[in-house]
Amino acid sequence: MFVIVNGETRPLPEPQTLTALLISLSPQAPFAVAHNEEVVPRGDYEACRISPGDRIDIVHPTAGG
Amino acid sequence: MKERQIDDQLVIYGRRFSSRLLLGTARYESPSLLDNSIRAADPAMLTVSLRRQVAGSPDSGESFWNLLRETQRTILPNTAGCLSPHEAIKTACMARELFQTNLIKLEVIGDEVSLQPDPFGLVEAANQLVRLGFQVLPYCTEDWILCRRLMDVGCEVLMPWAAPIGTGQGPRNARALRELRERAPNTPLIVDAGIGLPSHACQVMEWGFDGVLLNTAVSRADDPVRMAGAFASAIKAGRSAFVAGPMLVQETAVSSTPEIGRPFARDYSTRSGIRTDSNPSSSIHPLLKSGVTDRVVG
Repeated sequence: MFVIVNGETRPLPEPQTLTALLISLSPQAPFAVAHNEEVVPRGDYEACRISPGDRIDIVHPTAGG
Repeated sequence: MKERQIDDQLVIYGRRFSSRLLLGTARYESPSLLDNSIRAADPAMLTVSLRRQVAGSPDSGESFWNLLRETQRTILPNTAGCLSPHEAIKTACMARELFQTNLIKLEVIGDEVSLQPDPFGLVEAANQLVRLGFQVLPYCTEDWILCRRLMDVGCEVLMPWAAPIGTGQGPRNARALRELRERAPNTPLIVDAGIGLPSHACQVMEWGFDGVLLNTAVSRADDPVRMAGAFASAIKAGRSAFVAGPMLVQETAVSSTPEIGRPFARDYSTRSGIRTDSNPSSSIHPLLKSGVTDRVVG
């Protein structure tokens, strides 16, 4: 199956949890994650199931005015 | 008097700050320049943003975040660049999760050239974010009706622009800004965007604004650290002047040095045309002959 991570299509071996996806991506901390444009609280990563075509956004702090 | 100064703090959603400067963290040449500028500015808050990870960027990610955390300043995330209420609300929710704060500097941009806020989208987004428990600081114009609508939906602080973001032009519409100050006397007003010089910041503080949010004026100065200190001084001076209560502007000159007891004084009332000397030119003060007045001005 495929998912869209930060706008890029990526293959995933099978439906899995957000925790598993984040382990494979290992984004640099700190970060926040949205699943299909809805924020996923840190404590809910394991309960968040990823389905084919889902959109995942991972964001980090950056400079701003 | 001492008590008055101690009580004179900036209050943002119940948080009290001794500094009235809010500093942006973007466009510094290096992390160390940012760090030293923060120390020189001594800001109440630091504005930050969020983005997808950009590999190798010095102003994002873990090192950038650690630098900000070590300053122990209050973090104010923004929704910079958002062009719709939907985008701004989603970004604000991500910011709350990332930075663990309900504070949000709300930007809903209506024009990509001027970066002018979209007043309609701004009120809509502010309304929803307040309902979601956010403490919203909207980046807005000085338009009174817009500001009133933002207060109506629950914004306790407003951030009118001085001029478009990054221009450094200073207050473009001074009269409207001052009228806004008068119409919303109890609402914290922070002038955000368009400030270029410490004198601009001092000026709006003298008008009674509660704070100033800066970024480019510091980060793009030749010497950002020195400029950060200059802005800190200017904002303090402007605030002190406002609290002190400026004198009233007079239509005509008023001597500050006492006139009574002036030595060598003669009657120069001929200037009003009442002298009756037969030969006026012989008794007129030499300075008056050359057209220079002798009023006491200092």
